[in-house]
Amino acid sequence: MKNLMPIPLVTIYAALVALSLGIAATMPPLIAQQSDPKSAPLTPAQRGERVFADNCARCHRPPMTIPPQATGTVIMHMRVRARLSRQQEQDLLHYLAP
Amino acid sequence: MRTRTLLCCGMLLASLHTRAQGSGADSSHAGYAPVISGSLGYVYNVQGGVPSLEPQINPVLLLPLGSHVLFETRTDFTGFFERRHGTSGDYTGEVFKTVDFAQLDWLANSHVIPIAGLYILPFGLYPERLEPLWIANLQDLPIDYSIGTRTTGSGIGPQLRGVAVETNHFNIQYTAYYSVHSNVTELQAARTAGGDTSIYFPGLRAEFGTSYQRFLDNHQINSAAGYLTWQPSHTPLDLKAEYDRSHNGQGYWIEGNSMLSSIPVANSFFRRMQIVGRDELFFPLNGGGNGVPTVETKRGEAGINYYIGDDWRLISSYGREFKSGNNFNIWNLGFTYRFLWPLAREKK
Repeated sequence: MKNLMPIPLVTIYAALVALSLGIAATMPPLIAQQSDPKSAPLTPAQRGERVFADNCARCHRPPMTIPPQATGTVIMHMRVRARLSRQQEQDLLHYLAP
Repeated sequence: MRTRTLLCCGMLLASLHTRAQGSGADSSHAGYAPVISGSLGYVYNVQGGVPSLEPQINPVLLLPLGSHVLFETRTDFTGFFERRHGTSGDYTGEVFKTVDFAQLDWLANSHVIPIAGLYILPFGLYPERLEPLWIANLQDLPIDYSIGTRTTGSGIGPQLRGVAVETNHFNIQYTAYYSVHSNVTELQAARTAGGDTSIYFPGLRAEFGTSYQRFLDNHQINSAAGYLTWQPSHTPLDLKAEYDRSHNGQGYWIEGNSMLSSIPVANSFFRRMQIVGRDELFFPLNGGGNGVPTVETKRGEAGINYYIGDDWRLISSYGREFKSGNNFNIWNLGFTYRFLWPLAREKK
């Protein structure tokens, strides 16, 4: 049981964190409105974008193009999985099916 | 047989109630057509020098009954083929079929979503959220995955879930369930009760959660988990970690991934590339077993995934598992594809 610690992976993590934090300064905020609470009220679609970033993107990347006739169904599924509120569901509908 | 009856009833009800425009859509243009979604993939795995081929397909059927009731089911078909003599000979094996969930959801209000049927046991981050083929960044499940998911990963009975508290500064979400014992073929489950709750801070983009389960079949066993996720606002870094403990052992894993979207050189190539790593440690208690190792086990994995468009993804990873007297390498190479097909035409 010697050398149990996978040292190369620690190096990988350190490189991954350094890489990500190192390029942070060049990145725009993921949600532009989030850091400016004094800006105008968000539209439903903008709120939906925030709901997506805060909830859906915790687990997976942005969705492929969803056919309009299926958007409501897919968001019902996501509301159950991600335990979203009714308002969040409505905002997502405006974001993904404006 | 019962599964087919359940599916037929669901499809019949859906055909009576399906409408392209739901009442909940308000001014959006969302439709509520039935959907077949899911993912498929093919993984070439080499573990300790022994190769295996693992084709998978996990179709999900979504049948909405209006905009407040949803029947959803997912069946997993996974093939496992190994060489007849370990490292030589032709490939032989079989395809395993598992119904992961077949549940009826009532989206009653913001605070309560009652669910009935066969559902995925909500324990920690992986079973409900990170396990789907097209979501998982590394194809190998964590060592301590079996904690809180015995015996089949699914439960049968009632479940409640929803948002307990929602403010501008934090959200608290919850799930509570009770599962009966079932020996019905393809709908097997153990008698369990438990729940999961998490608090999310939008400002920090961080989530802290905990899961608990009491296993009620035969020996009564408590299992618990604590987990966190963090996605800093200004960087494409995504960190997740979990600690699990039960009568049979305790362990943790920490996983991080990052899209290389900000590399200035060949950006159109690198923005589709993801690097991922996971480190795990497990200590058996009371001899281990019940799906977890019987000896102290460590594993480290690192991988590179490449997204071809939104649906296709090439996956690759290398890992090494460290056990007493038995260390070995794990290689994975393959692809995943996620699909979504509405079962009704778009209304003009």
